[in-house]
Amino acid sequence: MHQSYRFAIAYFAIFGTLLLLSGAVLFISKLGISYESVSVFYMGNVEQFSQPKSTYGLLETALPHIGAMGLFIFVTAHFMLFTSKKERQKTVLPAIILFAAALIDIGSGFLIVQGWTFFVGVKIIAFLTLQIIGLYLLFTLFKHTLQGIARYQN
Amino acid sequence: MRFTLVKDIKGDTLMRPILGGLLLFILLFLSADVLLKNDHIGLTPTQLSQTLFGNEAEYIEPATEHFLLELMHSDIFFMMMTLLTLSAVYARLCQNKTIRIVNINATMISALLTVLFLPLAYYLSAHFILPYIIAFYAWHILALFMAIASLYYLYIPQKSDF
Repeated sequence: MHQSYRFAIAYFAIFGTLLLLSGAVLFISKLGISYESVSVFYMGNVEQFSQPKSTYGLLETALPHIGAMGLFIFVTAHFMLFTSKKERQKTVLPAIILFAAALIDIGSGFLIVQGWTFFVGVKIIAFLTLQIIGLYLLFTLFKHTLQGIARYQN
Repeated sequence: MRFTLVKDIKGDTLMRPILGGLLLFILLFLSADVLLKNDHIGLTPTQLSQTLFGNEAEYIEPATEHFLLELMHSDIFFMMMTLLTLSAVYARLCQNKTIRIVNINATMISALLTVLFLPLAYYLSAHFILPYIIAFYAWHILALFMAIASLYYLYIPQKSDF
């Protein structure tokens, strides 16, 4: 592999980390991280003068995320193809968990507005899983890319 | 990224036109991004300052935290995907190793600096507005250069091809 391509992948991992972190800041500032705040965000609260979210309103946010998350997880995980067989096998489970967590994270909002309050907790867990496993995968990718750059230079 | 494994991408009858198309779209994306940002948030210190902090005399409201975060979040995604793809194509086509590595690093670092300077300007000090604008133009110009250079290497025969 070209050395310059390794640099591009390392930067991709840095951008990916920033993407996850900015997503986390947005999530916390808009929805909060407690059961109650997430519930109020979707179902509204008369005392706080907040309206419940509409399905089409949620679809507006969900649509770009469906495309972007699928692409992001695929691209990040597929770079592990350039590592050893052992590392590739270690990536399979995190990648599957990431796809599932992203799907649940996006989908649970629609279920909450339909009155399935159980999915408030599910959404919070899916979001935290997405962040933690995503950062783990990006860190692993970054570490292997840096090792590749160092090996090439030595 | 299958094209990273194709040995002669310039000679490949499928890879050449589709890479040409991809580079054309990247050129359009970069130009449109400059135009849109200029209209959306402003790309001069005065305009950007008004967008971020508002202007009472002209009844302009300051940007909300959510607006800024959403802008940055979507920008990071498009930046990372565009620059990764462009760097991969450029890395395969540019034969000069030093120029290749310097260009890719300079583009990526200036793009990363835009992500750093915008929140610094909003939360910390208006002094970061000018560095943000410089970094913004720098990564767009460098990326445009990489896209144009890649098109040149792809379609104009080089000495090393013979």
